[in-house]
Amino acid sequence: MSDPLVDIRDLSLWYEKFKALDNISTSFTAGKCVVICGPSGSGKSSLLRCVNRLEDFQEGDVYFEGQSLRECPNIASLRSNIGMVFQHFELYPHMTILDNITLAPRHAKGKSKADAEAHALTLLERVDIVDQAHKHPAELSGGQQQRAAIARALALEPKLMLFDEPTSALDPEMIVEVLRAMRDLANDGMTMLVVTHEMGFAREVSDEIVFMDEGKIVERKETNDFFSNPHSKRAQDFLDRILMKI
Amino acid sequence: MTFKYDFDWPMLLEDPYKEWIIEGVTTTIYLSLLAWVIALTIGIIIGTIRMTRSPWLRFIGTAYVEFFRNIPLLVQLFVWFFVFPLMLPHDWMLSWNRLPHIPFITALLALSLFTAARVAEHIRSGISSIPKGQFDAARSSGLTEVQIYRYVIIPYAFRVMIPTIASEFLTIFKNSALTLTIGVSEITSSAKAIEAWSFHGIEAYSVASVTYMTTTATVVLFMGWLEHRLRIPGLIAKK
Amino acid sequence: MDWSVIATHLPFLMKGLWMSVKLATLVVIFAFPLACLIAVGRISSRSWIRYPSAIFVNTMRSNPLILIVFWFFFLVPIIIGRPVGDFASVMIGFIVFFSAYFTEIIRSGIQSVGRNQIQAGLSTGLTYFQTMRMIVLPQALRNMMPALITECVIVFQGTTIAYVVGLREFLNSTFLITEITLRPAELYTFAAIVYFVVCFAGSSLARQMEKRKVRT
Repeated sequence: MSDPLVDIRDLSLWYEKFKALDNISTSFTAGKCVVICGPSGSGKSSLLRCVNRLEDFQEGDVYFEGQSLRECPNIASLRSNIGMVFQHFELYPHMTILDNITLAPRHAKGKSKADAEAHALTLLERVDIVDQAHKHPAELSGGQQQRAAIARALALEPKLMLFDEPTSALDPEMIVEVLRAMRDLANDGMTMLVVTHEMGFAREVSDEIVFMDEGKIVERKETNDFFSNPHSKRAQDFLDRILMKI
Repeated sequence: MTFKYDFDWPMLLEDPYKEWIIEGVTTTIYLSLLAWVIALTIGIIIGTIRMTRSPWLRFIGTAYVEFFRNIPLLVQLFVWFFVFPLMLPHDWMLSWNRLPHIPFITALLALSLFTAARVAEHIRSGISSIPKGQFDAARSSGLTEVQIYRYVIIPYAFRVMIPTIASEFLTIFKNSALTLTIGVSEITSSAKAIEAWSFHGIEAYSVASVTYMTTTATVVLFMGWLEHRLRIPGLIAKK
Repeated sequence: MDWSVIATHLPFLMKGLWMSVKLATLVVIFAFPLACLIAVGRISSRSWIRYPSAIFVNTMRSNPLILIVFWFFFLVPIIIGRPVGDFASVMIGFIVFFSAYFTEIIRSGIQSVGRNQIQAGLSTGLTYFQTMRMIVLPQALRNMMPALITECVIVFQGTTIAYVVGLREFLNSTFLITEITLRPAELYTFAAIVYFVVCFAGSSLARQMEKRKVRT
């Protein structure tokens, strides 16, 4: 078995006195799509945000391609190999979609403007909004904005994509188009960590499920195994509740 | 109640009053523009260092703002004019005293540093109004802190802050009248001089008031136009 | 530096400071009610009330205070027909000038409450006047408290402008003592410290209220 892309060891994170992550150790292999789920407040977003050190964890460490994040001398350069998609899109409102996408490739990766724009247009083509390239974020629908945000993350040519509840701020008809873009990405072999409540997506697309509660990983299983045979009581309850809702 | 007053408007077009008015208007505009540019530069720097993670830099920024905001501008002017040269080492003081236009330079210094504190406050509240997710997004894409501010935060905050930046120009413009106390011949001092020479206060002060009011109206109209031009498509202006 | 000069002349300086405080207090006491009236005019639906109020506010706000003081210093005796003294002239100038700034604070305070609150009040059977008094104004006052206190600090800072017409407030007293003693360094530093302490106390209070407002 090859070395893991992301290796998390004894990771703990506190917000003030609240312990959000409690001594987590796990790893993620390249080429896999892993869904992280669990009740709200279980620490799943925090875990995701530790993978590119958006959270300054206090204990333990995260290794990306063997590089320790705690001791990383240039965190910006490391982050430019990891794409991230946010719940509220976080496109830059004062820039066109094209400028949003080309900003980091040009300034963090030193690409030329022409190269960056050419690449951006192929990415927009891929998420099916190439006609929106010269508009500003606020002129797009929520689903289009999130697809633009996915294109922006892909423009880094990342080795890993992080999705932090990418559909929870969207209307149902727009969720479908974003999930489709994510599914295509997974099918192309992108390594993905996805925090989501979309159990349909999880079952259909992901390779593995990580179930978290109270800052701990309660259960980690192959997707089919998790749905047909959840081991822990808490995971069973969680599935019952969330599948009932669907 | 009686109101007895002989109006003499044409006198304003005669020398020396005409000369005084021209000099006053020029000085006021020149002083305000220069001070505004300096105040924006310093204010942006101070405002930004107050948002950094270094407690030391933040303290320096806060101390600057509190210091300059809580002392009346007129007192600051006097301190720069009367006290500052005395604090310099002896040979510096001699070269300072040899500078031409000391009142103007002092006025520029005092107005810029005072207004920079106000600008810094606006910058800070502008930046804190930007959602935290914008920082996360920029960080996650591998931009450095400096790049994040340069490309994402400041350009956006700047658009949000156009009205306040414009109104700071008007603040300087009006505050520049105070510099008559240290001998700058700006427009209010011209008006005062005309009143003292001719006893025609209404005409004299009208010139000054008209200068301030037309400039204010012009800036307000221009800024409305600029705000419209720089409007971010799709975003509805917050009222 | 020779700080004894301040000790020697402290009583005179403190008399000046008392004058500054008195001036600022009187200005706030008179300007605030005046501003309430003008603010109601600013949001009135009748244009013949609204426009004059707006013109007044914008005229005051586009002129420097020092020029307004000169205007009133010159005009008040002419209009009244006899000299009324430095203090009264300056006071009137200050009150008129600062009432315009208070007006804008009060107006945005009232508008911050929002139309739905008025409708909620009316829907429960309160009259318009009751709604204003019991629902809108208490909230408005709360919302504008920090801005009002900040403005009071600005009024206090503004009283230094009485210096230009020779009114013996704190800055003018300091100036006078420097003329006598030729010790500007100590005296102006002292004045700056005194102003700083008073104004810092005021703006800290405003900041505290702002925080409390955000929390609740």
